[in-house]
Amino acid sequence: MVVGEVAIETDVVVIGGGPGGYAAAIRLGQLGMSVVLIEKDQLGGVCLNRGCIPSKALIHTAEQYHGLTHFNKMGIRLPQGEAVIDLGTWQEWKEGITSGLKQGIAHLCKENGVTVVKGHTAFLSDDRIGVETGGDFETYKFQEAIIATGSRPFIPSFLEIDGEYILDSTSALQLVQVPEKLAIIGGGYIGVELGMAYAKMGSQVTIIEMADRLLPQVESHLVREVTRNAKKLGITLKTSTRVEHARIEEGQVFLHLTSEQQEVDIVQSDKVLVTVGRVPNTGEIGLNRAGIMTDDRGYIAVDSKCRTNVSHIYAIGDVTPGPALAHRASKQGIVAAEVIGGLPSAIDSPHVPYVIFSDPQIAGVGYTREEAQKRGHQVKIGTFPFRANGRALATNEAEGFAEVIVDEQTHVLLGLHVVGQDASNLIGEGVFALEMAARVEDIALTMHPHPTLTEVWLEAAEAALGHAIHIVNKEK
Amino acid sequence: MVEFKLPDVGEGMHEGEITRWLVKVGDYVTRDQPVVEVQTDKVNAELTSPATGVIAKVYFAVGDTVEVGSTLYVIQPEGKGEISTAAAPLSPTTTQTRALATPYVRQMAREMSIDLGEVVGTGPAGRVIESDLIQYVERKEHSPTSPTKEPVAKEDALPAKAVNKGTIKAKKELLEESEERIPLKGIRKKIAEHLTKSATIIPHVTHVDELEMDALKEWRDRIRNYADQKNIKLTFLPFFIKAIVIALKEFQTLNASIDDETNEIVLKHYYHIGIATDTRDGLIVPVIKNADQKTILELAAEISQLASLARDGKLTLDQISGGTFTISNVGPIGGLQATPIINHPEVAILALHKMEPRMVVRDWEGVIRLMMNMSLSFDHRLIDGVTAVRFTNRIKELLENPNLLFVEMR
Repeated sequence: MVVGEVAIETDVVVIGGGPGGYAAAIRLGQLGMSVVLIEKDQLGGVCLNRGCIPSKALIHTAEQYHGLTHFNKMGIRLPQGEAVIDLGTWQEWKEGITSGLKQGIAHLCKENGVTVVKGHTAFLSDDRIGVETGGDFETYKFQEAIIATGSRPFIPSFLEIDGEYILDSTSALQLVQVPEKLAIIGGGYIGVELGMAYAKMGSQVTIIEMADRLLPQVESHLVREVTRNAKKLGITLKTSTRVEHARIEEGQVFLHLTSEQQEVDIVQSDKVLVTVGRVPNTGEIGLNRAGIMTDDRGYIAVDSKCRTNVSHIYAIGDVTPGPALAHRASKQGIVAAEVIGGLPSAIDSPHVPYVIFSDPQIAGVGYTREEAQKRGHQVKIGTFPFRANGRALATNEAEGFAEVIVDEQTHVLLGLHVVGQDASNLIGEGVFALEMAARVEDIALTMHPHPTLTEVWLEAAEAALGHAIHIVNKEK
Repeated sequence: MVEFKLPDVGEGMHEGEITRWLVKVGDYVTRDQPVVEVQTDKVNAELTSPATGVIAKVYFAVGDTVEVGSTLYVIQPEGKGEISTAAAPLSPTTTQTRALATPYVRQMAREMSIDLGEVVGTGPAGRVIESDLIQYVERKEHSPTSPTKEPVAKEDALPAKAVNKGTIKAKKELLEESEERIPLKGIRKKIAEHLTKSATIIPHVTHVDELEMDALKEWRDRIRNYADQKNIKLTFLPFFIKAIVIALKEFQTLNASIDDETNEIVLKHYYHIGIATDTRDGLIVPVIKNADQKTILELAAEISQLASLARDGKLTLDQISGGTFTISNVGPIGGLQATPIINHPEVAILALHKMEPRMVVRDWEGVIRLMMNMSLSFDHRLIDGVTAVRFTNRIKELLENPNLLFVEMR
């Protein structure tokens, strides 16, 4: 390759076109800066192409399919007998969704004056970056840069992703046939989401988790319904268990397991999905040439303005320490762009909501009871079960509950968590309430529409105050 | 390293005395654990640790008086030193206890370079609301002793940050070049407060009329030499005062006030006339006491004396209080009419405007006369429109025919 003599000058270079990077680039364009957005693969990043969007499309499909065979009591019957699922057709449908979204992003970038460059990239110094596209090499000189290169699945050394037998979350979304037997290493949110989806589509799923329960990062009482449903779907749960090694023989994968009690076990499956965490993509972009430091796990530390230790270079999203979530990346991207544009923006909120598309869904924001108590709050908790909500019953999904955690003295909301149908949409109200520094009365006094699931917040808030209408309030 | 600076724990405090250390250097503290007790003139406060870690250094001893903003102690936070501290805002588990405020107010605080943690919130449950930020800034400007604080000090651990801050500052300055901000304080602030009160409480009505000044001018010119010999500058103002006092005696409700607390009308049998005077710092109203008992020349002499005291800022409180009616003589500067604001608790004010030759009609013929307008604002709660017109008619009558002034003068 030939290093270009003349560097193309730009105000800002954004490295990575995922939900953090493209949001930053568009905002920079809006602020009147010249922006080059460098993406090595496809706009939208993991989220759009290999994560959030396709996995939600798969989960939705699995739910619909599962519903067809389980809606007898509502009076739905299939005249031909069993429903059939065709993942090949599903792939086409999914492609339609993601390509539509990608075109949307490309259009927005264009309209906001963002130059999108495709290629592999690495810093040459703290003000130059090289981009390799095919055989060509181009150099860009920037005033400021935003690193938004995201993360990839972590794969233990004894495994190798081949897309055939050993899958990561990316290849698990590219299958054209439902595997008969699927083993999943890692019972975190990706493993549980995809495991339940494949189980609904007919796979025999085994989830192997090192911790003593599924979703160890979520407080245990929020996970109970999910564990129960996983068992109902026929998922085999092997908790407190580690995978020692894997062997592929005659089209089958054999996983050798050791449980806490030192019992040895072998799980046989058609395919193995590895979802044991993610690692930041910071190794191959020449950070050392720009003088940017990472911690021992490869994360780039930033301040509340998303600045790295090199003050004119910013980092956002999964490359920074914290939960690897698209909405966190987008917020950081917009903040970094605005700081570059001279606005007084900052990441000033600890309230990063989480959403798990398990069955039922789990979502939350703010402190759990334990976290609140650890911080010295006297807490009051109000809960309200979905089974007392008319809408939940009428849609045959009455599992779960909403929970509000309140400071006993000030009644200020500290956390909101919800397990149940549409928890992912319901948490929006919770995030807003926390950001507005609401008191529990603010929710309790607000008229919520009937009949909707949103009433669970109203009732949980009322319960915290000791006067919920649709459940019997227990004396404290 | 996290530096702990003495926050403003009481309303507008500037300093506090260290009364007790609850930890010593080398102690391990958890976030929100009480570390030091500080006594101010208003409160006794236990200040808690902003971070979990080890107390690395303590700067003051018990009994020391410390200014707000001074670093009291330094914590070496748990974990990996400087970089990890800087990254703290991102991770929910290491975030500081946040001041309660909506996202918009937090953005506003950043725009105003205010650390929300230092603002006392007056909203529900101590929420910081917009007006708290404004008050915080005002209080700061009124306390010259408080050191300028670095609002983002806590997140300042990344060393190279300063560079970029400079560029942002430059951008801000560019924006601010086209406007100037001056603190509202001193006399200007008093004026603002007083006029707001007057305008809020009193339902104002302004009535305008004109005066023919030829006779009075002729009269004044005739005795001007006499006044000059006595070294007194004789303007029209003393004549106005005399005419007003005579009219006030006849229209008692204009020399009165309303006692809002007892719901009573107070009619005053003394005539203290305020003269609105322009000074370098703004408007001030010296008062001529018992104007009804003074001669024209005595009034003229007193006006000159009070005006010069006002300009030198040497008026005593007694000389600017107790008025029962105010005259605002803006005529020498110009202007046709105005809607003056009443000097509360008085109930009326008379503005005198430019004196000039104007074409007027007398006996169905156009003639040129020396004319002057006057604008009377009155408190409509107490004074009816007809009364006000009759009052100015009387003044007009007395001044247009100075002989009547003599007849009525005591």
